Amino acid sequence: MDCSSHADTALSTLYLHRWCAWLPERAGEHMPACVITDEKPPAASVPAMLRRRLTPLGRAVCTLLGEMGAHEHPGMPVLHASRHGDGHRPLDMLDTLFEGEPLSPARFGLSVHNAVLGVYSIAFDNHASMAALAAAGEEFEALLSEARGYLSDGCESVLLVLTDSPVPERYRIQTQAPQNPSALLMTLSLSPAPDAVRLQAHAIDTAGDQAKIVTPPLLTDWLMGRCDLITRAPALRWQAVGETHTTPGE
Amino acid sequence: MADTSLSELERDVANMIIEALELEDITADDIDPEAYLFGEGLGLDSIDALELGLALQKRYGIRLDSDAEENREHFASLRKLSMLVAERRSD
Repeated sequence: MDCSSHADTALSTLYLHRWCAWLPERAGEHMPACVITDEKPPAASVPAMLRRRLTPLGRAVCTLLGEMGAHEHPGMPVLHASRHGDGHRPLDMLDTLFEGEPLSPARFGLSVHNAVLGVYSIAFDNHASMAALAAAGEEFEALLSEARGYLSDGCESVLLVLTDSPVPERYRIQTQAPQNPSALLMTLSLSPAPDAVRLQAHAIDTAGDQAKIVTPPLLTDWLMGRCDLITRAPALRWQAVGETHTTPGE
Repeated sequence: MADTSLSELERDVANMIIEALELEDITADDIDPEAYLFGEGLGLDSIDALELGLALQKRYGIRLDSDAEENREHFASLRKLSMLVAERRSD
């Protein structure tokens, strides 16, 4: 069996057109203008009656999707990957069941993995293809794989949403989860543009210990030139060629 | 003209609605006791109806049959809902 699919160099180059992120843990730090840090982002474009059911993470994703103008590009797929979904909600419901209490229908309704994209789709009247993924720590890799599928199928560009969320204390030994929620969005395509950054992948023998789970803070640091980016499946070292961020806000 | 001031019980029920449905930026006094809670008026939806059923049970010990036609009547307005609470509360 030929296992060298990552050697397909044509597909190992992607173009990053825009990115933005929500990193509440970086509040007060010097960050590029495209990184917001408010604890509870406004999500002003989401009607209040829908917005009330969103967690800060959901509000952040809707705020950033609005800023990226996804709804102005009809047909651009929106792909969301997160390892633990929207934080405590699904796990808290298990506790409620254990205590024999009835579940909150509203919370139940928004504990599904694609809930945030669903609210976004309703609020912005965006009927493009949307998908929500979980991949046991390889969410970014899964997003790239899914994105390539859409791009190879002829989509001009795709919008990726990567989010991460803490889990309740008692689950922290079982799984790797961050202390703070975070989100990062990027639009990718196969074609260069004057202001696009070329993302070049280089095959490496094994990702090994160098490969950390790719989270929004790690991607942000990489885009700011502060660290390397290595994906695990397939094992690739990524290089960003071009200006990846505007001058940090004053 | 309709009386839009809230009785003590109506205020209590209004606060239950606001709390259970996580209504942002709304206070009890913003809710017109005669206005529709669903659709036009306050603008609640079907998930809110289920959530309200749960809140009534927790707060006032009132169990509603989820299929009952009369629920529509009880949930019509804050005033109607407060009348139901006054009649059937067992807390």
